[in-house]
Amino acid sequence: MDKQLPNEELMVKIAKGDEYAFQILVERHQTSVLNLIYRFIGERTKSEDLAQEVFLRVWQAARTYESNAKFTTWLYRIAANLCLNELKSSRRKRWLRFFDADTEEQTVGEEDFSDGLPSPEDLLLARERSRQITSALQSLPENQRMALILKRYDDLSYAEIAGILNCSVSAVESLLVRAKKNLQEKLKIS
Amino acid sequence: MKPSAGFWIESCLIILRDDPFTETRCDMKCRRVQKKLSAYQDGELKPLEQAELSRHLLSCQSCREAYEKLERVWQTLGGLEEISPGPWFYPQLVRKLKEPCKRGLSPTLQHVFRFIGAPAIASIILVIGLAAGSYLGTNLARRDLFPSPSIPVSDSQSAFFASMRVFDPAPPGTFAEGYLRMASYEESGSR
Repeated sequence: MDKQLPNEELMVKIAKGDEYAFQILVERHQTSVLNLIYRFIGERTKSEDLAQEVFLRVWQAARTYESNAKFTTWLYRIAANLCLNELKSSRRKRWLRFFDADTEEQTVGEEDFSDGLPSPEDLLLARERSRQITSALQSLPENQRMALILKRYDDLSYAEIAGILNCSVSAVESLLVRAKKNLQEKLKIS
Repeated sequence: MKPSAGFWIESCLIILRDDPFTETRCDMKCRRVQKKLSAYQDGELKPLEQAELSRHLLSCQSCREAYEKLERVWQTLGGLEEISPGPWFYPQLVRKLKEPCKRGLSPTLQHVFRFIGAPAIASIILVIGLAAGSYLGTNLARRDLFPSPSIPVSDSQSAFFASMRVFDPAPPGTFAEGYLRMASYEESGSR
């Protein structure tokens, strides 16, 4: 099968149960979906689970998928909804963490850098910078955070973000204005 | 002597320069521009607006500084590294796909249950409560566990005595009376 097939055609094949088409689709989008979730949630293990959940839903919903919507918008909407639901349920579970102090999650900025060859100073700086950005991002309200991530890291248009967040283009514009203003304060940019 | 045209022009320029309204007009324009800076940065304005803002940024220092701050935020965000999925990502995904039993309810059903779950449980508890109440009220209360001594009384007298039992601590036919009867029944049975 041609690996260059457009997403919509792959979805038609997936709807018929074609696992190879599914594999191509997953390989094409796994990094962007994983990073979108990771930047939003801030926990690597949880992000991988959620990214897999996104693709499981793609598989399950392939038969009902209508190609009149752009595939990535549809895919990111699934990911965004999962992220928002995850945040809600983790808020409910937060009080239980008192009793579960042993299960420390690896967070953004606490990566295993053993593959690369950066110097210890670079590592420290990168970790510190990542930690600051993550904590600034995490402090944003959910919709502002998601809009900002989709714009900054996925370079989506306002119209596409509006489609994903199910709101108007002007709402996206004001979400981004507020998100950038908040980040200026959090990151102490003067 | 009639003032020259040059004098009038110079006077107008002085008034315009010192006029607080001129400054206000500029501030208003800057405020409008600064509201649009985010969309300008993201390239989401119409070409004409985009060009107008570019011109304004060249001439206005405060707006230019505001824009540079936005740019610094954008650059700082670039410091967040990208992660890659592990080699186990797809095999693990396929394993999850092939284990439908362990995945529990489908997302649609989960969604439905999230909304109807609490009312359904409340309804079940209510039905159980009503059933238990009706059982105690009818079945147990009807049993004459402590028959009163048979003294011949007229119908009107018995109706009077029955109506007076409304003032009992546990009036007949109530949940409390049913419970008391049940408790004393069990007590007498265990003896």
